[in-house]
Amino acid sequence: MINFVGDPVDMLVNPESLPEEIDRVRKDFGLDQPVHVQYWKFLQGAVTGNLGNSFIFGRPALALIIERFPATLELATCALIIAIVVGLPLGIFAGLNPNSIGTRIIMGGSVLGISIPTFWLGLMMIIVFSVILGWLPVSGRGEMGTFLGIQSSLFTLDGLLHLIMPATNLALFKIAMVIRLARAGTEEVMGFDFIKFTRARGLPPKRIVSFHLLPNILIPIITVLAIEFGTLIAFATVTETIFAWPGLGKLVIEAIINLDRPIVVAYLMFVVTLFLILNLIVDIMYAVLDPRVRIKGEIQ
Amino acid sequence: MNDKVISKKNGVQNNNSKIIIKKFTRPATIISLGLLFIIIFCAVIAPFLAPTNPYDLKVVSILDSRLSPGDSMFNGNVAWLGTDGAGRDVLSAIIYGLRTSLIVAISSALIALTIGLIVGLISGFYGGKIDSFLMRVVDIQLSFPAILIALVLLALLGKGIDKVIIALAIVQWAIYARTVRAAAIVERNKEYIQAASCLGLSDFFIIWKHLLPNSISPLIVLATLQTAHSISIEATLSFLGVGVPITEPSLGSLISNGFDFILSGAYWITFFPGLMLLATVAAINIFGDQLRIILNPRVNN
Repeated sequence: MINFVGDPVDMLVNPESLPEEIDRVRKDFGLDQPVHVQYWKFLQGAVTGNLGNSFIFGRPALALIIERFPATLELATCALIIAIVVGLPLGIFAGLNPNSIGTRIIMGGSVLGISIPTFWLGLMMIIVFSVILGWLPVSGRGEMGTFLGIQSSLFTLDGLLHLIMPATNLALFKIAMVIRLARAGTEEVMGFDFIKFTRARGLPPKRIVSFHLLPNILIPIITVLAIEFGTLIAFATVTETIFAWPGLGKLVIEAIINLDRPIVVAYLMFVVTLFLILNLIVDIMYAVLDPRVRIKGEIQ
Repeated sequence: MNDKVISKKNGVQNNNSKIIIKKFTRPATIISLGLLFIIIFCAVIAPFLAPTNPYDLKVVSILDSRLSPGDSMFNGNVAWLGTDGAGRDVLSAIIYGLRTSLIVAISSALIALTIGLIVGLISGFYGGKIDSFLMRVVDIQLSFPAILIALVLLALLGKGIDKVIIALAIVQWAIYARTVRAAAIVERNKEYIQAASCLGLSDFFIIWKHLLPNSISPLIVLATLQTAHSISIEATLSFLGVGVPITEPSLGSLISNGFDFILSGAYWITFFPGLMLLATVAAINIFGDQLRIILNPRVNN
């Protein structure tokens, strides 16, 4: 199906080249053959783990994707951590003080957080922090450090400075959700008898929140966030385009615009596999964290 | 105990219209509804409202490019929100862009609503194998983020307003289908539907005349919120360069157009379209939330 949009040869050769030249390129990539032959070749390759070479880079598409994946993973993980660190305390506060002014501001902010277009906010962040204030770098991944054999921007100051804006931008999308989940969870758990009992025992509020409330609201939040991690990776496409972050999303957007089919197809396969694995992990985690699910499963 | 509940219920019914009016006059409802009306009104009368036609090449002059907000243009007009790189008035471009954004969002929401309604009703009414098949399709679709599906679809379909509408409709139908099915299953087991079947009415008649009107109400709020959602998705896609073509820009493509100029300090080309987008989406979202409160009989105070 992907073969019907435009002719990739147009993107590959100089428009002024001779017709013989164009034909030669077409033959080199096997694009002169009928669709079913191309498809059969693709299937033959796919079974052996070869999803074809990228038209633009001339290298295996899957290798390119795996090469770019760590950058996206790093971005999404940082965004997730920021979302939890910021969203959880705000949500618990809102749940503990349902009628205070602070809660109204937090909940109003979370409606705004859902409505605000992420990519526009990213651009505004660039204007404020890079153009006007000049604090943070605009694009790229910065200098990378190596620690335990892993290359990452997390290990150098320059890399961290590059990471702050994209990660915050990506996190904003999830903060509102964490706030809502944490608030709903807190309101529910605070009404339970065991919390009342801890109060009766005269435990300080701080201890009640961190030892009795937190473990109970974390279960649903963690499971939802694990599913949402996939969404973060999908949404990273937008953030990566804005901040020129050399990750998976930027690769696939460029591939779509340049009609680089093998990369688009390989990306699709990769993401679908990733989602399947994530969903599996979530299901297993659910059983580990909440014994009730396990018991139910055994009865059935 | 039972009497109390009944009398309470009657009281609610008597005051129903009063309560609805009371709820409608809450400040958040009035403000969001007012804003929404102004926005839609602007989009509808765009050709009369916009100071210039941003796509009329006779009017647009490259000499006016990148004027800051409030500067006067070569022909003496004032560009209240500045001009972009090609010398188009940003204010006019926003009003026209709003039009494109709303057309795409509303038409895709309507198509998705129709498909979702049909699938949901069939699934809820017949149950069994049809139901489990359709709901597995819905499950699969809902397990992927909307933006990803839309991106892949547009990579397959190519550019164009019609294609964006199709992609957005395909992305959204599943959520409608699931909601309708839930409502339809509840209705299906009620006595009036069973009575209708006993009368020997055809399945189509029962679904059309009885099931549809009774299962549609949860969709009102959902459709409002989904429209806001599809405006954002369309803007995101256009920003990425896979959405509407450059010849008919939406708010998203206007923002993306200004992306090239932000480092040179020309913030207005991106800032104002984004503000418009935020106002539109926020107005619809708040209105949707208010609508949920108004239509939910349990939240009376």
